[in-house]
Amino acid sequence: MKSNEIRIKRKNDWLTPEGTRDLLFEECAAKREISESVTRLFENYGYSEVITPGLEFFDVFNGYTRQFPQETLYKLVDGKNRLMVLRPDSTLPIARLASTRLSDEELPLKLFYNQNIFMVNPKDSGRDDEISQCGIEILGGKSGAADFEALVLAAKSLAACDEDYRIEIGDCGIFTELMADFECEPELAVNTRHWIETKNLPMLNSVYSSDKIAEEDKVFAEAFKALPRLFGGIEVLEEAKKYLHGENLEQALTRLEKLCRDLSDIIPEEKIRVDLGLLSSKNYYTGVIFRGYVEGYGQPALSGGRYDRLLGTFGRGAGAVGFAMNVEAVARVLLKKDKTRFERKPDVIVWSENLALGLKHCGDLIAEGLNVVNSVLECPKCTKKYAKEHNIKRVDVVDKDGNVLSEEV
Amino acid sequence: MENRKVRIALTKGRIEDKAVGILEKIGFDVTDLRNKGRRLILNIPNEDIEVVLAKAADVITYVEHGVCDLGVVGEDTIMEHGGKFCELADLNFGKCKFALAVKKGTDFFAGYGVKTVATKYPKVTRNYFEKQGIDVDIVKIEGSVELAPLVGLADGIVDIVETGTTLKENGLEVQTDVAPISARLIVNTVSLKLKQERILELVNLIKGVIE
Repeated sequence: MKSNEIRIKRKNDWLTPEGTRDLLFEECAAKREISESVTRLFENYGYSEVITPGLEFFDVFNGYTRQFPQETLYKLVDGKNRLMVLRPDSTLPIARLASTRLSDEELPLKLFYNQNIFMVNPKDSGRDDEISQCGIEILGGKSGAADFEALVLAAKSLAACDEDYRIEIGDCGIFTELMADFECEPELAVNTRHWIETKNLPMLNSVYSSDKIAEEDKVFAEAFKALPRLFGGIEVLEEAKKYLHGENLEQALTRLEKLCRDLSDIIPEEKIRVDLGLLSSKNYYTGVIFRGYVEGYGQPALSGGRYDRLLGTFGRGAGAVGFAMNVEAVARVLLKKDKTRFERKPDVIVWSENLALGLKHCGDLIAEGLNVVNSVLECPKCTKKYAKEHNIKRVDVVDKDGNVLSEEV
Repeated sequence: MENRKVRIALTKGRIEDKAVGILEKIGFDVTDLRNKGRRLILNIPNEDIEVVLAKAADVITYVEHGVCDLGVVGEDTIMEHGGKFCELADLNFGKCKFALAVKKGTDFFAGYGVKTVATKYPKVTRNYFEKQGIDVDIVKIEGSVELAPLVGLADGIVDIVETGTTLKENGLEVQTDVAPISARLIVNTVSLKLKQERILELVNLIKGVIE
């Protein structure tokens, strides 16, 4: 047996790790088209681009109010034996950046990014471990104005990719406000948050059933049970007033209503949804939070919100708001709808006797706005055959004097 | 907008039977579901609903990925499998519990040695003992877990207990309850938002006929 015929099968040479994939051709085109149209939008609105390292210190993601469960992080150690992670989120690195290299820059700062994040998903769940995101962060500024701008850009980002989208708005400050006044064990607070987030009505109904709750706590119990049900159109905010009392909560509702009304001046009202049960497992959000949905993807395609205490933990006390869109999720939805939209076919294939003249001709065609393949095949005949097989409509043959013979196939 | 039917995934077996009963009570034509043969996707005539039959953990997977909008699955599977979805209703059937059982007359918590627990539900078991702050060794068993303490592999088991007959016949008894279980109606987060009206209508119909 010749040595090049011996092939030792080591299976990890052949595969990409679970949760990752190679992207090919139209998949790349779709992803690039989306990230380009979204980042162009950010640039048009005056945002500046930042790229943060793929590797970060574990500590960045393991501080107060910024705890990522360690089983969800890809970890490794550097040459000094320090614990590192593949960045699981772009907001924290940007908060770090704002407090260090950008600490002399005046607020508000408007930044955008286009980079990947990594997370360890449960085994065989079919979820992506590597996710490409485009997003913005508005650091500082008047919170109402910044929230509104972030929402508008979120809606525009989705609309730039697919008309079939919904943007959903909530305020996780409402839950925090309720919990601050309700006295209970920390464990119950954590569970309640989780039950509201997952709309687990059976658990909420049983734990907060009126016969188990003291009279003075009934108003909280009713509110906790109501929050996950309060979703739908803007009219939900009216109903919410029955359950949410007190100055701060009423203010939060008024704020939300204003955001929604203002937004409906810019995008169709039926695209705007409200969900007061919207909470985020990312515990750095403090106020308005929002999500974007597209038909055909089972999880939110965009998510974001206001985080007013995060920058402070890095030493720069300022509020901020931001969002990230899952570029690949949107790309997949669009590919499923119409793959041909992203297929790139060359217009012409060029074969030449004189290589320099051939490439020069290619350059001329490209200048005319055509996509060209320079044939590196043996002869004009095999070039024509190749053109037929690959559905290239035109073959140009350049002779040694530079004369071009154009032929449709 | 893609106009596929509303898809409900049912856990095959006992949960399926009860769930079909609920659909029938609502007034849906379930003849197709009763005479399903080996088919896995079934239609409800005159309704925009399709029923999918799957194993319990797969119901969660299909709903989580959004290819099914609703699912009926036991709380036991939800606790073991986890996932991102909304849990909208307790269907009040398939009631049983997770319990820690030991050989009759023994006390699992006696002494200071690290105990071994055999179970089909390692995550449920891990979570329970973590909450109690007790270190245990967990051994995953695929078949009848009751065997493990009898042959000396484990000090106790965490398993689903319905009537307790199997435990009794094998000389085991419940030491303590871990968690109650019943069948749940789960909904994909995005479906709930994009098809809110139809899905809530269905949820209310279902809630209307369960005791």
